[in-house]
Amino acid sequence: MEFDNKQLRHVYWNPYFGGLMLGLLIAATFYVTGRGVGATGGTKATVVSTVDLIAHEHAEGQEFFSKYVDEDKNPMKNWLVFETLGILIGAFLSGSIKGRVNFRIQHSPKITAKRRLVFALAGGLLFGVGSQFARGCTSGAALSGSTVLSLAGFITMIGIFGTAYVFAYFFRKLWI
Amino acid sequence: MGPLTFNDIISTEWNYVIALLIGLAFGYILEASGFSSSRKLVGVFYGYDFVVIRVFMTAVSVAMITLLYLDYLGFLDFSLLYVVPTYLTPQIVGSIIMGLGFLMGGFCPGTSLTAVAIGKIDGIVFTGGIWLGILGFSEAYPYIEDFNNSGYMGNITIMDQFDINPYTFAFGFAVVAVIAFTAASMIRRKVKEIQY
Amino acid sequence: MQKRYIFLALLFLVMASGLLFLPDMEKKTQIEPSALLNDIHSNNRRLSTDEIAKRIIDGDPILFLVDVRTEAEFNNYSLPGAVNIPLQDLLNEDWTGYVDQDILDIIFYGNDDILSEQAWVLCKQLGYQNLYVLDGGLNQWFATIMLPEKPGELASNEEFDLFSFRTGASIFFGSGTTEIAVKAKPKKEKKTIPVRKKVKAEAEGGC
Repeated sequence: MEFDNKQLRHVYWNPYFGGLMLGLLIAATFYVTGRGVGATGGTKATVVSTVDLIAHEHAEGQEFFSKYVDEDKNPMKNWLVFETLGILIGAFLSGSIKGRVNFRIQHSPKITAKRRLVFALAGGLLFGVGSQFARGCTSGAALSGSTVLSLAGFITMIGIFGTAYVFAYFFRKLWI
Repeated sequence: MGPLTFNDIISTEWNYVIALLIGLAFGYILEASGFSSSRKLVGVFYGYDFVVIRVFMTAVSVAMITLLYLDYLGFLDFSLLYVVPTYLTPQIVGSIIMGLGFLMGGFCPGTSLTAVAIGKIDGIVFTGGIWLGILGFSEAYPYIEDFNNSGYMGNITIMDQFDINPYTFAFGFAVVAVIAFTAASMIRRKVKEIQY
Repeated sequence: MQKRYIFLALLFLVMASGLLFLPDMEKKTQIEPSALLNDIHSNNRRLSTDEIAKRIIDGDPILFLVDVRTEAEFNNYSLPGAVNIPLQDLLNEDWTGYVDQDILDIIFYGNDDILSEQAWVLCKQLGYQNLYVLDGGLNQWFATIMLPEKPGELASNEEFDLFSFRTGASIFFGSGTTEIAVKAKPKKEKKTIPVRKKVKAEAEGGC
């Protein structure tokens, strides 16, 4: 969608071109490292580190964390953490080149900004929980998983998009 | 012979640098395609912007086809690539939860990171929500652990489960993708224009 | 619909359909013929019967004896702890985990050298590792271990030591005196071998 404005130029790539680039990137990632990309892993590592910092014994006792909390292994030294950092930097580069960087809340004109933030938080919570159950999110499981034809990838992809289509009607006020 | 890090063609110390570079490209592509805008992302469910389907299906089919060709030509060993393990029930439940989260928040974890990078406060809140969600999950872990690990079917692929030739599947997927794009364009023309 | 999108879509489909028509290429990872020839010449693969006897007696944990004869011959007599993989079944998927691994030393043996050498070359060509051959096979085994030749009066000390070792070994393996046939221990004891499938665990991943 082109939206040419004196102050902000919102010119996005052609989606097919973006898809082509993304596809080649994913293929290159698999070729070089044998794994796909991921988005929640970095956040998870931060959670583990924070809990470890604040309540170390609790972290060791809890089954969820004990895998990652080790004397010599730093949970932050994780492939996904570096990759997440890269995403932040890359997106910032792209945004700043096109002049899209500034603090704002993007919301439909039909709802208030506060309402948007409430739902953003709720959505994030759901995603945090759901991604742990599904061992991946749209980037890790659906995108990378489907590329190598894993069953889980397709289950996740169909699950996420299918559910969203089914319930889209109930949330239409938020968006259109 | 790929994957490169396995056969020591690239040493593991470079792994983290590579991760950074890959993330860089990933973030750049996502943001440049417009995925940092939540209203653009949700458009696919309401018919006013199909960028998600276009990018996603193109990306998956291009990557799939590229990898299969590389495997055929001997540059890559497809069987060594990481396959996400299948936990049937938790993944179905998890993806339903995530679908709702997508609808409410308008982001998915990867795109929310791009939104954070360009300063969108709703993106920052969303990422914070993910953080809290994972924390909550971990605290409740002892109670849900059994459910979480149920339905384990191993690191299986579509080929293992349904006995389909991967090449046939890749071609079929490409066909489905093209059909989806055409349908998307047709729907797009019918739906009323929305400014965002 | 713009023309260039139609063109791109068609191009895309053509690329995808290319996958359907790929001829089946046998991608066997085989080692270089010259390397194979070198290995054949080097004779490093030959292990003497004495050495094997010693390793069996010592209970060497990484010793893995593979009897490449037929099942009938195997049941008649075989070395203790050996597993029977007849030569024609060697490429069978069930056995791949046993022969394609790098923890145990695999020693092929037959009645003589013929079958074991063939097994060795076959597996070597597939790139398997730690492959050896029992020099002389079971015939040599009987001639040296089970029925050792008593050295003459003028033989060296080493030969006498070897003879006493062999005598001890033959008692250990239960041949007794002249009976060649069958004190065979129950061969049903399958060695529990860590069968490692193709290590997929190398790739870490996830979200």
